[in-house]
Amino acid sequence: MLLDAVRREVSSETRTDSREAGAAAIPRVPSESGQRGIAVTVRDLHKSFDGHAVIEGLNLFLPAGGFTAVVGRSGCGKSTLLRLILGLETPTGGRIDLEGPEGSLRRSEPPKRIMFQEPRLLPWARVVDNVAVGLSGQGTRAERRERALAALAEVGLADKAGQWPATLSGGQRQRVALARALVSRPGLLALDEPLGALDALTRIGMQDLIERIWRAQGFTALLVTHDVAEAVALADRILVVEAGRIALDLRVDVPRPRRRGDPDLARLEGRILDHLLGG
Amino acid sequence: MPASKLERLRDTAVPWLLPAAILLGWQAAVSAGLVSNRFMPAPLDVARAGWEAGRTGELWTNLGVSTLRALAGFVVGGGIGFALGLANGLSRLSERLTDTSVQMVRNVPHLSLIPLVILWFGIGEEAKLFLVALGVFFPIYANTLHGIRSVDPGLVEMGRVYGMSRTELFTRVVLPGALPSIFVGLRYALGIMWLTLIVAETISASSGLGYMAMQAREFMLVDVVVLAILIYAALGKLADALTRQLERACLAWNPAYRSA
Repeated sequence: MLLDAVRREVSSETRTDSREAGAAAIPRVPSESGQRGIAVTVRDLHKSFDGHAVIEGLNLFLPAGGFTAVVGRSGCGKSTLLRLILGLETPTGGRIDLEGPEGSLRRSEPPKRIMFQEPRLLPWARVVDNVAVGLSGQGTRAERRERALAALAEVGLADKAGQWPATLSGGQRQRVALARALVSRPGLLALDEPLGALDALTRIGMQDLIERIWRAQGFTALLVTHDVAEAVALADRILVVEAGRIALDLRVDVPRPRRRGDPDLARLEGRILDHLLGG
Repeated sequence: MPASKLERLRDTAVPWLLPAAILLGWQAAVSAGLVSNRFMPAPLDVARAGWEAGRTGELWTNLGVSTLRALAGFVVGGGIGFALGLANGLSRLSERLTDTSVQMVRNVPHLSLIPLVILWFGIGEEAKLFLVALGVFFPIYANTLHGIRSVDPGLVEMGRVYGMSRTELFTRVVLPGALPSIFVGLRYALGIMWLTLIVAETISASSGLGYMAMQAREFMLVDVVVLAILIYAALGKLADALTRQLERACLAWNPAYRSA
């Protein structure tokens, strides 16, 4: 479809821009990053639960390495869309294609990962072992531990490796969950309102952390949120979902790193909120 | 620090104050002649009876026999209960097939089966083993099933998404999640284990602690009867303490079980 093609062009441009801005701001690991993203194509997607339609004929293309936010009122189908893309639900109709750096996606390379609203850490496993869960049995025990420790260091919790999750604060637990999601170097990271339960300051810290790691690693990020300010701060593209379809598809051209309270961001946020409240 | 050492000593001593006071009061009451020692022997008499029974070896033989019976019944009944609890917790089909029957049998007080069991097995070892196994089965079964049912489905979903195999999902998510509940079942079962065994031995046995107590009654040896009762109390406390230690080791992650 022509529209799709145009959208694809536009999105990949935005991506390049933001990448360059990112490279200037923080030195990133030169290897592999940028080519690991998974591209997602959704065609005429339908999903209903007990005859009640939640997604109705949704089309979408997510370019590899982009950061897309999906916003909408509760019950609009945004979480279902994310779960469908992750393969946690089976579509009633239509298809979803995932494409990795080496063409069509074979089995789970690179893996897709999800961060839930709750940390969902195993309370009976030490923090480092919880992170190692993300490696799902790859390599030897020692290698897994080493990679888990590195991922913990990336989220700033290296000193908590030997602790039980029960001893951590809510924000720290969610950082452990982020480390677990990232330790396997995923090609697609889905974030299902992962910061919803955190206090305002912790949220901002987490947003910065997610953005920094996304820029360093170059995975495709898909964030579902009801916080429009969060979507605007993080994403380079925002989709507003209404009644199972995409009602609004907006690019966020503001260069990174973004300043909180930037007038462009505020204007965009206002526009989306008007749409959500007015519609 | 001596202060904290003293505090720790005080903390360990406090729970034993009440039993010690009762023991002292008891001894005083019997010594003063307030209670006839035909009905209630003084603690010192009981201690003497214990010493005597220990010296002849009678006590150790009976204690050993009872402990072996208890453990054998516990392993058989607990093992079956655990296995069926796991099966029914993990498989809908297995639960639909067996749970209703189990619930029906559960409502029969297992000690009411004693006459039937004596008819079946006589007063041999099988009778005791059967009763203990039956008594232990239900708490282990019910709590294992409940534990597996109450594992956070969010964690199970997380395990699936993160590519855990079925075996891994069981050993790393389901079983540890069910463990606190399984321990509750274990502690109930240990209580029922002693209770059942003592009743069974009192009614029909030719050895064991219950038998020792019944024999003593025949010869009006009140001190031995009381000795047997005190040994039950000690055994129950011992089993409970061991379970607590095990809980602390296995559930160290859980703030509710962490030692102070």
